[in-house]
Amino acid sequence: MSTLATLLRQRLRRDRLQLALWIVGTALLAYTSVAAVADTYGDESERNQILQVATASRTILVFRGTPNGTDLGAFVFFELFAWLALMGGLMSTFLVTRHTRAEEEQSRAEFIAATPAGRVKPTVATLVHGVLANLVLGALVALAFIAGGLDAEGSWVTGAAMAATGIAFVAIGLFAAQLFRTSRGANGAGVAAVVGAYLLRGIGDAAGTPSDDLLHVTPAWPSWLSPIGWGQATGAYVENSLAPLALSLGVSAVLVAIVFALQAVRDQGASLLPGRNGRASASWALSGSFGLAWRLNVSTLIAWAVGAAVAGITASSLSGLIDELAGDAPQVVDTLQAALGGGATLEQAFIATFFGIIGVLAACCAVQVAIRARQEEAHGTAEQVLATPVPRTRWLLEYWFVGVIVIVVVLAAAWLAGLAGTAASDTPDDLVSLITQAALAQLPVSLVFLGVTLLVFAYLPRWTIVLAWVLLGVAAILGTFGPLLGAPDWMLDLSPFTHSPVPAGDDTDWSGGLWMIGIGLATAALAVVSMRRRELAAGG
Amino acid sequence: MTTVISASGLQKRFGRTVALDGLDLEVTAGEVHGFLGPNGAGKSTTIRILLGLARASGGTATLFGQDPWKHAGELHRRVAYVPGDVSLWPNLTGGEAIDLLARLRGGTRDKGDYTARKQRLLDAFQFDPRKKGRAYSKGNRQKVALIAAFATPAELYVLDEPTSGLDPLMEQVFNREIARVSAEGATVLLSSHILSEVEELCDRVSIIRSGKTVESGTLAELRHLTRTEIAFATDGIEPTALAAEIDGIPDAHDLIIDHGRVSFTVDSDRVASVLPDLARLDVRGLTVSPPSLEELFLRHYGDELTARAAEPMEGARA
Repeated sequence: MSTLATLLRQRLRRDRLQLALWIVGTALLAYTSVAAVADTYGDESERNQILQVATASRTILVFRGTPNGTDLGAFVFFELFAWLALMGGLMSTFLVTRHTRAEEEQSRAEFIAATPAGRVKPTVATLVHGVLANLVLGALVALAFIAGGLDAEGSWVTGAAMAATGIAFVAIGLFAAQLFRTSRGANGAGVAAVVGAYLLRGIGDAAGTPSDDLLHVTPAWPSWLSPIGWGQATGAYVENSLAPLALSLGVSAVLVAIVFALQAVRDQGASLLPGRNGRASASWALSGSFGLAWRLNVSTLIAWAVGAAVAGITASSLSGLIDELAGDAPQVVDTLQAALGGGATLEQAFIATFFGIIGVLAACCAVQVAIRARQEEAHGTAEQVLATPVPRTRWLLEYWFVGVIVIVVVLAAAWLAGLAGTAASDTPDDLVSLITQAALAQLPVSLVFLGVTLLVFAYLPRWTIVLAWVLLGVAAILGTFGPLLGAPDWMLDLSPFTHSPVPAGDDTDWSGGLWMIGIGLATAALAVVSMRRRELAAGG
Repeated sequence: MTTVISASGLQKRFGRTVALDGLDLEVTAGEVHGFLGPNGAGKSTTIRILLGLARASGGTATLFGQDPWKHAGELHRRVAYVPGDVSLWPNLTGGEAIDLLARLRGGTRDKGDYTARKQRLLDAFQFDPRKKGRAYSKGNRQKVALIAAFATPAELYVLDEPTSGLDPLMEQVFNREIARVSAEGATVLLSSHILSEVEELCDRVSIIRSGKTVESGTLAELRHLTRTEIAFATDGIEPTALAAEIDGIPDAHDLIIDHGRVSFTVDSDRVASVLPDLARLDVRGLTVSPPSLEELFLRHYGDELTARAAEPMEGARA
């Protein structure tokens, strides 16, 4: 027992900051969101309208939950639970991989297994650690909802649903750690399980059977394959039924039993699925430093491009709903108008808002490419490349090229997906030109962030990662939410996103974009040239 | 003879830390040069400056007569480098990493020959090229860099502690490859903190300590630095009688009798002279061990360090 306590203490200590940030962050998100929802939809008739719009549209339900009446608590649960459960799920699978497969992969687990703790106790400790983290998360979310003014019983049911869903993902994470040889594989499977669970219940909600008044939906069967769907099935604030959570806990128990059975028979470091071997020699694509930079970034690119495509198709397919929104939920229209300034049509406003988010995604992807250059340097692999005839300037220039390519591909993915979504529109031609303009308008701001990150890399290499994400995060928040939060103009003007051209048909003002292309090119050029005088800065 | 590597008064500071403090290094074409020093002496820093990856704070360094910082790209066409701590790309296989590095060096233009050289090295080093980078142990990561280096024809091989993760069998393979490239006329700079490895492979040696060159020359010239330790079991012989015997041997120094073992040191070129006395004593459990580099430093520079602490002036040797 004492070895178990020691292992558990080690886990709590190692995670104390990371887990605290994750749990408190999720609880704070819950609290502020309750306040925001209660503020925006404080009136029952408003909730009535928005629920009817959502239920009628179906697509919106994928990103929300199961409509369950106009009670404020039930409405908040509908708006927020799936997102919060997604956060809790990711927290759980990352936590489990960190303490199981990642340890085994690094051979640290071998030290532990050679002590009286043995091979199995670390897994037990990880299970306890994960369950504790989810109980705390559930309790804090419940308290956040109560503090937000919601009914206590429903809030505790929500908390219980959060905890049970998270525990199911702890079990799934433990199972994935048995399956895969690498932490990358286990984390990938964990994220896929969480996102898959989110989408399954989204499909279940969207394909469910609506009631006549469009205020309730009975989810279709896919929801019953998802731990998040089981959490939703509690019908918090209305039915308050804990029975569906028995499914979460039951499945967790079965998975945990399988995990211990597997662990009992397998070798330390081995996995159920064998580690995959790769090519014995490099293909033509890996013929030089550019091929390497591309290869190192292509999987990142695919992830961001898929996200951008989903946002693109959502933007254009939902824009058909705008007429309905204008009639039923004028306050949504007002906020969009406020974001855009006067004079634009609602369709333009809608596309502009969504493609603004796509612009953030493209900038994120470009920043990640620039950060990869820093990671290569810190990891020591850049040294081997630069000890060959590849000059430092060319090396960084190639990362810039890859950055430009990923920006174009991410925007093109959103653009093509957006075009695919125009089929449902009454006026597809207008929408096509609007979407094309909107996609082009995001190019300059992404180039700025690519150039600025490379410049930070050239002059303050050790600060690249932190500074790049902070700059991008602040700018994105100012650019996206600044107008809604009523930030003053001078502050909004600090964010490059504010200067992205706004698509408005023939009236589009491209000057901001041209300026930013200039800035993007100038910063990148300065960064590349200054590599002439720059030493390699290892580690740290 | 042409000079391949030349460094004089080389200095490198990282903030307030002094990594190199007036280092000199001279390597002529065709030689295998051992670059010896304890960990943290500045070997890797010197190599990074010679490769143009870091810039010297003072002094001069040239590679093939050119400034490595300004002409890094063109000089690297003539150099193959094996870093001390090899990092691999986690999502590339070992085979892909070898091909990539060789292609970057331009060593794969003779396609058929390159494939043959690579295959021979893969077999010799018993290396499985199909695993992903993160799956390799330290020794196997080192093999990637070694195979990529030896599969590429180069005029200069710069090897930073290349055998630290290899087992003895693989060290033999490594030694053969050094002999091969050396026979083909290449120059080798081999950094190491293992004296025996350097003794086996190198024509000339430079020893550095705390960022300074303390000795440089052929192994024969440096032989005077080394003393060999001789030890055997007391095996019932009475200690005082034994001490008297050993004291009688003119070449024996530093006698210690402890825990049933007798040990003393002899200048390495005088070992043969004490053997008759050992035979006469009929000693058991005899061991003859060359001094480690650390012992060498302590023996040869310990006094000087103490002396230097006493008087502020720089010692005559530096």
